Amino acid sequence: MLGCGSQDSASSMGTLGPLPHQIDGWTRSDFAQTYNRQTIFDYINGAGEVYRSYAFGHVTVVAYTGPENIAVTVELFDMGNPSDAYGVFSYGREREETGIGGGYEHRGGVLCFWQNRFYVCIASEPGAAASDQALVDIARAISEGLPAESDRPNLVRLLPAEGLVPFSERFFHLQQTLNYHYYVARENLLKLNVRTTAVLARYRPGAAYLLIVSYENESAAADAWLSFRDGYVPDAEGSRAVATENGKFVALRTYSRFVVVVFDAESEAQAEQLAQAALDRLAESMDWGA
Amino acid sequence: MSQERSSLTRRDFMRGVGSVALGVAAGFPAPASANTAQTDTSRVVLIRNPDVALGVRDTDGVLVQQMLDDAMVALFRQDDASECWRQIIRPDDVVGIKTNGWRFLPTPPEVEQVLRRGVLQAGVPEGNVAMEDQRVLRNEVFRRSTALINTRPMRTHSWSGVGSLLKNYITFSHPPDYHADACASLAELWDLPITRGKTRLNVLVMLTPQFHNIGPHHFDPSYTWPYGGLIVSTDPVAADAVGLQIIQRKRRLVFGEDRPLQPTAHHIALADTEYRLGNADMSRIDLVRLGWEENSLI
Repeated sequence: MLGCGSQDSASSMGTLGPLPHQIDGWTRSDFAQTYNRQTIFDYINGAGEVYRSYAFGHVTVVAYTGPENIAVTVELFDMGNPSDAYGVFSYGREREETGIGGGYEHRGGVLCFWQNRFYVCIASEPGAAASDQALVDIARAISEGLPAESDRPNLVRLLPAEGLVPFSERFFHLQQTLNYHYYVARENLLKLNVRTTAVLARYRPGAAYLLIVSYENESAAADAWLSFRDGYVPDAEGSRAVATENGKFVALRTYSRFVVVVFDAESEAQAEQLAQAALDRLAESMDWGA
Repeated sequence: MSQERSSLTRRDFMRGVGSVALGVAAGFPAPASANTAQTDTSRVVLIRNPDVALGVRDTDGVLVQQMLDDAMVALFRQDDASECWRQIIRPDDVVGIKTNGWRFLPTPPEVEQVLRRGVLQAGVPEGNVAMEDQRVLRNEVFRRSTALINTRPMRTHSWSGVGSLLKNYITFSHPPDYHADACASLAELWDLPITRGKTRLNVLVMLTPQFHNIGPHHFDPSYTWPYGGLIVSTDPVAADAVGLQIIQRKRRLVFGEDRPLQPTAHHIALADTEYRLGNADMSRIDLVRLGWEENSLI
């Protein structure tokens, strides 16, 4: 039921360790499946790319059976590091609540949270849904077995607070993910790669986007800045924001090993102020190595 | 079938240079392609019934049979469905029915069985018909197939915009190598030796389509609705284009704003403009509507 193909034996890999055998009347199956970066497509097909765009190592999938034989599926994704656990959580979340791990979202019959390097989803089986409270209880019990530290990526904490649309922050590495959240170009103009980290967030008024990319070094940032300027805003004059064809504005800046872009600002002033606010935050916090 | 890829940006789409990726009208530069299945216009039948789908897993098989029969007659302009099946399938064909088994929203068995019956009616022996999803490359009938029938439900998808008829052939490639740029090159799957020129019929299941995601791969039935439709065509691109419009209009209705798919389902338009597999431009789609018209969204 949970997929097939070249999955590994979860038990033999010891990956069930953080998952309690009993949780308030729910019993974990002894049969679990584990999928790694190569076999993830056997479990979730093309959406496996979402996980592979982060430092995903493997996912353990196991069923818990509770009262009246209702079953839930638990997925324990080892995302390699806390930033990428947060990243995959931020990928699709629309809301966020606190109290489980570093944050959780409960929509429909699915509860997902991130904690330390793990991303965990508990999903009701269609047609026999577990109660909302049961999903929360199971999530809390699993959370207790995971390492507690759940710091958000520094780059996310650098986002200017004023005007930030709640829960709009997306943390990622690759061009495909940027285009998923905000289509920029087919070509990788910003030279995003597995070594870059990026945060994209929406701002009011209007629906402006602020993108901050952190590169390996200043030279890489300078290359990306030049590539983006030539490919996306060849009409830029100095550091002034550029009016785009949809009546909005784009601003482009670079600072140290960072590139900052504001898309779809309502006015030239908003574009430049938001870019400057990001630069100010970057300058303030260079010490903590974003 | 390598393609010269342009580096179109969001600003190019704003200028109207090429509006495909943002899901507006079509228009990428169109290099020549070997995969020239494209015709001037494509006939697509959309048939609906308000009583066929009472839930995600609650489908009326009798109505499905009736709907598919009517759709076939309208599509192939024959007197009855049996004649249509004989038009597209020969008794000596070896037929693979490519279905979709995604556990939350699979192709309903009622649809699968109607298609299987149609193939058998055309005179194909039982041993020369197979139904498969994940293991098509390991299936002996698929490996020696001369004809394919393609069917799946449409749903939003966090890597390709929508799970489409085009994407349903992803299991003909292992390991899958079509995920770049939101699966932009999915049409290439239709030019593999095991698939090229074999597809006789596409049935896009819109009984309870999914118009929104939870996270990368989860499912919530509240993001489906009883549309009660089947989209039938010999052109997978045209059928997908019609289905995509319905999904996008449903999103606009539910969210109260134009909320684009994430990512955009540009693989459908590119299958037209870059790969010439079929027609995604509605002006080149001859849409035949049958049955229930209320809230058709197209």
